[in-house]
Amino acid sequence: MSAPTPDPGRAPRRDWVAWLERRLNLSEIFSFVTHFGFVHTPVDTSRPVREVMHGVASEPVPSYARGPRVLGLIAAILFGLEALTGVLLACWYRPTPEAAFPSTLTIARDLPFGWFLHQMHAWGAYLLIAVVTLRLLRLFWDGLYRAPREVLWWSAVAMAWIVVQSDFTGRLLPWDSHSYWSVVRGLEVVEAQPIVGPLLAFFVGGKVVNEDVLIRFYVLHLLVLPALFLGFFYLTFATLRRVGLSPVAETARGTAATTYRDHLFSMVILAVLAFGVLVSLAVLAPLPFQSQADPYSTPAGMRPPWYMLAPYALIERGFGPRWLMGAGLGIASLLVLLVPLWVRGPEDAAARRQTRLWGGAAFGVWIALSVLGMFLDRPR
Amino acid sequence: MVDRPDSVAAPQPAAEPSSRRRFLGTLSQIFLGLWGLGAIGVIGAYLRPRARGEQVAERIVRAGQLEDLRIGEARLVRHGTTPFFIVRQDASRVLALSAVCTHLRCILDYDRERRGLVCPCHAGRFDLAGNVLSGPPPRALASYGVTVRAGEIFVHL
Repeated sequence: MSAPTPDPGRAPRRDWVAWLERRLNLSEIFSFVTHFGFVHTPVDTSRPVREVMHGVASEPVPSYARGPRVLGLIAAILFGLEALTGVLLACWYRPTPEAAFPSTLTIARDLPFGWFLHQMHAWGAYLLIAVVTLRLLRLFWDGLYRAPREVLWWSAVAMAWIVVQSDFTGRLLPWDSHSYWSVVRGLEVVEAQPIVGPLLAFFVGGKVVNEDVLIRFYVLHLLVLPALFLGFFYLTFATLRRVGLSPVAETARGTAATTYRDHLFSMVILAVLAFGVLVSLAVLAPLPFQSQADPYSTPAGMRPPWYMLAPYALIERGFGPRWLMGAGLGIASLLVLLVPLWVRGPEDAAARRQTRLWGGAAFGVWIALSVLGMFLDRPR
Repeated sequence: MVDRPDSVAAPQPAAEPSSRRRFLGTLSQIFLGLWGLGAIGVIGAYLRPRARGEQVAERIVRAGQLEDLRIGEARLVRHGTTPFFIVRQDASRVLALSAVCTHLRCILDYDRERRGLVCPCHAGRFDLAGNVLSGPPPRALASYGVTVRAGEIFVHL
């Protein structure tokens, strides 16, 4: 295949696509997008881009594929919005203990729309954690961790972990009293774990929350964690292209309910809706913003962030010493990763019901511990 | 979930899209365009550099005691975006000269031996009255009003 041959059926149009096509391989650029999963068919990069996109758009999409994909797509949209608002916030933010709170205040109070971007970023984090967790639950419910989809499960767990860590590191950055002290109490939980605790303390720059820890959190939040997230995003789609979305995909191949063009259009509608929900939350329910952190005065009733309440309750009110409870916590999270190696064999209705029951019980324990954590250490 | 194998959405004839379809397409393009304009407006307003210094700065600046400055000496006052030199001309008269080179906004140095101001960027030279002696600067340095009250120098920017 040499130079792009014009479609014989159509009159050659003189337009900017053709102009670019003569100078760059647009199909190759388009095929790069396919690596990030929104298009899941391989692309022939030697064909002109119009033909390629036409082919992709009329690709059949089975009806089963429409609903569940929504979670991954919303996660991708929210990640994009977090990246955009995060870059904008970073334009005014200063990561030192003296300047962090005043610069955040400048953003949230003085700059035009600064409060809006700040609230979008904060609410986007809540929604992102919710969506990524729901996606994890959905993968578990449908048994999509079973061979050969182990990598799918591992990368979903890793993404959930990264999102939570992004929230934890980002929470410290405003340096207001609530963010500061909830991080201090969260680090308490982290450090209770025998091997992981010291290791993480090494990476975040020590056990005392000071300017060294702030700059590490800043680097983790802005560079390391988003880069890791994108890596796992890529890994997810790389494995999806190999093993397919779900076992249903094998049986339903060829039974199409719609075309990719319509599917794409509903994705755009979904993106607009997700954006609308986020804007509504940011405007109607702005998250509170408190006074500057004072490392010499602990406010009453500070607890770790909400997603750490269950480990917090376990460590504070467990039946053994702190290090033992911390080790139990580490083993429990390891078991979550090992689910695909643990649940094996033929997948019949009884086996599925049993694993769902186990998973549901574990999730119930998690919720119960979180509720317990909410009521620990209440100021009297 | 029931798949409907035969209900593959028939592609619309590309030759003549119906007017309703075209109308809805235009409407969504307008909607997305307005959305994009709004986003550009928000981001632009947020990112606009703040005019810091010029507006916040005091208009009258204390520049130290008169007796600390010897006759014929100049001293740099580091003030916001308008640093200036104060030059003591004789027992009572003090001159305030902008320290920003009129050529390309470098900050001038005081040359003690030759009693002048030198630009380190392109070797422009000024005398202690602010006039250009040599080099690329196009015009003399701006000067500011000075009052001396109870031995203290005040510069009016």
